[in-house]
Amino acid sequence: MKKNAAPEQLDEKGLIAKLIDGDAAAFEFVVSQYHSTMLSVARAIIGEAFADEVVQEAWISAIKALPRFEGRASLKTWLLQITSNGAKTRLRRESRQFSLDDGWQAEPDSKFDQRGHRIDDVLPWNIDTPEALLENEQLRAVIETTYQKLPPHQRAVLTMYDMEGMEMTEICNILELSASNARVLLHRARTALHHSIEKYQEN
Amino acid sequence: MFECKDIAEEASNYLDGDLPLGKRIGLFLHIVICSCCREYLQQIKQTISTVATIKPQEQHSTDTQALAEKLRAISKGEP
Repeated sequence: MKKNAAPEQLDEKGLIAKLIDGDAAAFEFVVSQYHSTMLSVARAIIGEAFADEVVQEAWISAIKALPRFEGRASLKTWLLQITSNGAKTRLRRESRQFSLDDGWQAEPDSKFDQRGHRIDDVLPWNIDTPEALLENEQLRAVIETTYQKLPPHQRAVLTMYDMEGMEMTEICNILELSASNARVLLHRARTALHHSIEKYQEN
Repeated sequence: MFECKDIAEEASNYLDGDLPLGKRIGLFLHIVICSCCREYLQQIKQTISTVATIKPQEQHSTDTQALAEKLRAISKGEP
């Protein structure tokens, strides 16, 4: 499937030059653009308590290191890597493995018969075009609440993959997850959002 | 033979093209004969494009404008 989020279209070299130059608008732009995703990464790695601090520190070290930024990765990936390194340092050497074998199901068993067939029809959605979606305050609120309630790892993978259009290998690297773990987390996050839109459609 | 439950579990991997060929074909054969699963996959796709459009944000209390100004000051070597 084609990824949704468009690749970075902004002129990064120009943006970095402006930052080094101390352009206030450029600073506001990068903070508004990347702060939330950096927070997703930090919360996924270290949890709520230290995430804000880790992100603030990541911003400061990134800005100090900016003149040495070589552009091998995108600015976003670089910022997220710095955030991830900071969060991991903070976490020390605690094991990052966690069990996914917790009885999670995409859909409850009650939706299927004993042969695994769906019992009820899946009803079509009456969903707006992407442009109209942005105007739909109710649906926006439903999505935002569900997103914010997702477990941090799910939120971080969903943010980077579906919203930021990043590659799975980059995401696994930043969050130190195996590809199969990341795929499972992504599907769980999408499924939770699917359920919430489904409920919204029913009402 | 794959069933609706398998589609529900593998929908993301199927849409993202991240499955071995045999499984992919097996799921495809089910999707061809099952309108419910076609609808379900369509909804997962819509879910993905909806979240990509709405771009929900992390909840936080940081004043991003103040942060931007602080970072600018740091970059200029101002105290």
